[in-house]
Amino acid sequence: MSARPAGAATEPVGPADGPVVPEMVPSHQHVDAPPPPGRRLAGAGVLAVAGLACILGWGLGAGERAEAGFRVAGDTGAFTLPVPGTPIALGVAVLLVAAWQAVRGFPRRWAPFVVAFAAVCFVVSFLCWAQSGAAGAGVDITRILRASVFLATPLILGALAGVLCERSGVVNVAIEGQMLLGAFAGAVGASLAASLGVGVVAAVVAGALMGVLLALFALKYRVDQVILGVVLNALALGLTGWAYEALLQRDPQRYNSPNGFLQPIAIPLLSDIPVLGPLLFNQNIIVYLMFALIVVVDVVLFRTRWGLRTRAVGEHPKAAATVGIRVLRVRWVNVIAGGALAGLAGAFLSIGTIGTFTDNMSAGKGFIALAAVIFGRWSPRGATAAALLFGFATALQQLVGTLQTPVPVPSSLLAMLPYLVTVFAVAGLVGRVRPPAASNQPYPAR
Amino acid sequence: MTKTFARAAAVGAAALLLASCGERPDEGAGATPGATGGAAEEKFSACMVLDVGGVDDRSFNQSSWAGLQAAQKANPDIEISHVPSTDDAAYVPNLQAQVSKGCNTVIAVGGLMTDAVEEVATANPDQQFAQIDAAPAADNVYGMQFNTAEGGFLAGYLSAGMTKTGKVGTWGGLNIPPVTAYMDGFWEGVQHHNKEKGTDVQVLGWDETTQQGSFSEDFLDQAKGRSITETLISQGADIVLPVAGQSGLGAGAAAEAAKAEGKDVKLIWVDTDGCESAAQYCPFFLTSVTKNLSGAVEEYTTAAAGGEFPEGQYLGTLENEGTGIAPFHEFDSQVPAELKADLDKVKAGIIDGSITITSQSQPKE
Repeated sequence: MSARPAGAATEPVGPADGPVVPEMVPSHQHVDAPPPPGRRLAGAGVLAVAGLACILGWGLGAGERAEAGFRVAGDTGAFTLPVPGTPIALGVAVLLVAAWQAVRGFPRRWAPFVVAFAAVCFVVSFLCWAQSGAAGAGVDITRILRASVFLATPLILGALAGVLCERSGVVNVAIEGQMLLGAFAGAVGASLAASLGVGVVAAVVAGALMGVLLALFALKYRVDQVILGVVLNALALGLTGWAYEALLQRDPQRYNSPNGFLQPIAIPLLSDIPVLGPLLFNQNIIVYLMFALIVVVDVVLFRTRWGLRTRAVGEHPKAAATVGIRVLRVRWVNVIAGGALAGLAGAFLSIGTIGTFTDNMSAGKGFIALAAVIFGRWSPRGATAAALLFGFATALQQLVGTLQTPVPVPSSLLAMLPYLVTVFAVAGLVGRVRPPAASNQPYPAR
Repeated sequence: MTKTFARAAAVGAAALLLASCGERPDEGAGATPGATGGAAEEKFSACMVLDVGGVDDRSFNQSSWAGLQAAQKANPDIEISHVPSTDDAAYVPNLQAQVSKGCNTVIAVGGLMTDAVEEVATANPDQQFAQIDAAPAADNVYGMQFNTAEGGFLAGYLSAGMTKTGKVGTWGGLNIPPVTAYMDGFWEGVQHHNKEKGTDVQVLGWDETTQQGSFSEDFLDQAKGRSITETLISQGADIVLPVAGQSGLGAGAAAEAAKAEGKDVKLIWVDTDGCESAAQYCPFFLTSVTKNLSGAVEEYTTAAAGGEFPEGQYLGTLENEGTGIAPFHEFDSQVPAELKADLDKVKAGIIDGSITITSQSQPKE
């Protein structure tokens, strides 16, 4: 049995919360030790590099135009920042933070704020530089944030699917396939029923059915879950590819013509709030569902009896079984629920974004979602953050492509940006990660 | 453990079987010459290797295949078939498979296949090939190229005359000559309008002088296409030219979303007339920059089936109608008569050489 007691469970396990698994009680020794000098200096070094990049690269490397334009939203709230003054000032601010980190060191709990401060300084400096080549319309801040949410939505939903499965001890490599089948069912369902709502339901059902397949082979027949996931992806690709050619291409009017795509629904009053309004209260139905699901999955996993059982089953199924938890039942439900979530992500791709299904339209997003699960340390919040970071970097990359930067940046280099940012952020912020101990372990073990 | 593995293998085999079903209709479409006996020997088989995006990409794959279908319609003795390429690793195996199948000619669709065609054509000197969007890579390859910079130039001139915001945009699938020829032409057309009419229209997403711009790095992902188009719209562009095959269809969704927000955005489609190939977005298509792929493929195949393999290459221009701009369809009444007359003059100027296009991406004679 390779499952071992959890060294540090993310949440305290209280007696009132459900049956206590003796092996899982963590040692409650909280020592607020200052970060070791090596770690402190490494952090300072990274901050210093970011600060110097702002000053030397984005500031002194700026083009001839002495200002950079920004807009809060649409045509409103336009303001300009001086270039190279702004990048240099922000760079100096980051350097000061780096110096403090090197000499005294920030307490650990400050780390997210320090990183966020440095990241914002860096991005603003970069955007100043990017606009210093030629006059343009200015960067629309709301639009870039909105694009980030838009690009992150399928990733977040896919990642939530992964979190649910993996927390219960089942590796879900099949997110990609579940998404693809969901996208397919969404478009076909919406076309046949002439209703986008039916399409969304069809996508969720299709994803759940893929979840059933995953559960059947992983739990009943105990197939290696990683290999199974890869096979299920091939199955979804083959199935949708074949149906696409045999049905959707032959008679697109009947099978692949949903009535447009889901339009944003503005919530009265709230959607008028600057920046936050368009971001949170003027989205389509799947994005609203996603907002709700992030909270629901987080609460269910960490605040309910069901969640505790799920995590117990994912860490140490044998121990969970001895206190009366039906391990396979918990896993079945989580895997199917995960499939349904990934199916919803698929619906966002077809009827939520463009309105039709096209061959292999998930295009690897399921794998990015899987990466977000790991980068987010198997927690809904972390996975959401990772997916949003990826979405933001993608939006930034697309924006920079439209600007005439002082030094031309090859688009293929820019295309690496989202991946690069995510990898660095993960290496720097997340560090070593530990998956649920029983993931990819068949139960009962032989 | 053995049992588990056996089950996994069974599932895998089942999945592979199903997956292979997806490919079958394509392969089945082409009868193997010689396999059906004596009668087949008189048949001429033309096999097409498509680029990624599938046969219905509403763009260059579809258009090339239409040419082959037209050739068959005119001459029923021509047997036609196509295979899709799932990614660039599939080019060589696909081409090789067509050679082994005994096709009389193999037509490779897309400039990305150039290296693969060269490799396979050199290894099979007796096999006749044709390739779209590249100069002949070997003696037994016939090249079909299109100077879409000329069509793009007209589209750019038209856009500069039609924009209300003073900004027009373009983006591509990849930064490669068959794509950037359109974008260069578009950019030059706008500059020409600025010079002639004293306007100050800006091009977003591409600059011929630096050869840098917006690319989706993808010919499939429509979600990317939508968000890049939306980025250009947010930067002020009201006419957008996507040059990215199926990925470009995302621009249609972007225009629809912009319309819901009360913005008036027009699009220019490429390769085929958008109002025919992607009719659902026709209300947004100002025009299309056409590339007469189907005509060139049909002509080549008909000639080859007649026993005459053409040599060298075909270059589509405004003059021989290998490229151009499609009708304005729903915008016909909105394009001023003066602009239409100017476009005719510009077209004549390009043909007689009084207007020169400097794009480095345009194919050479």
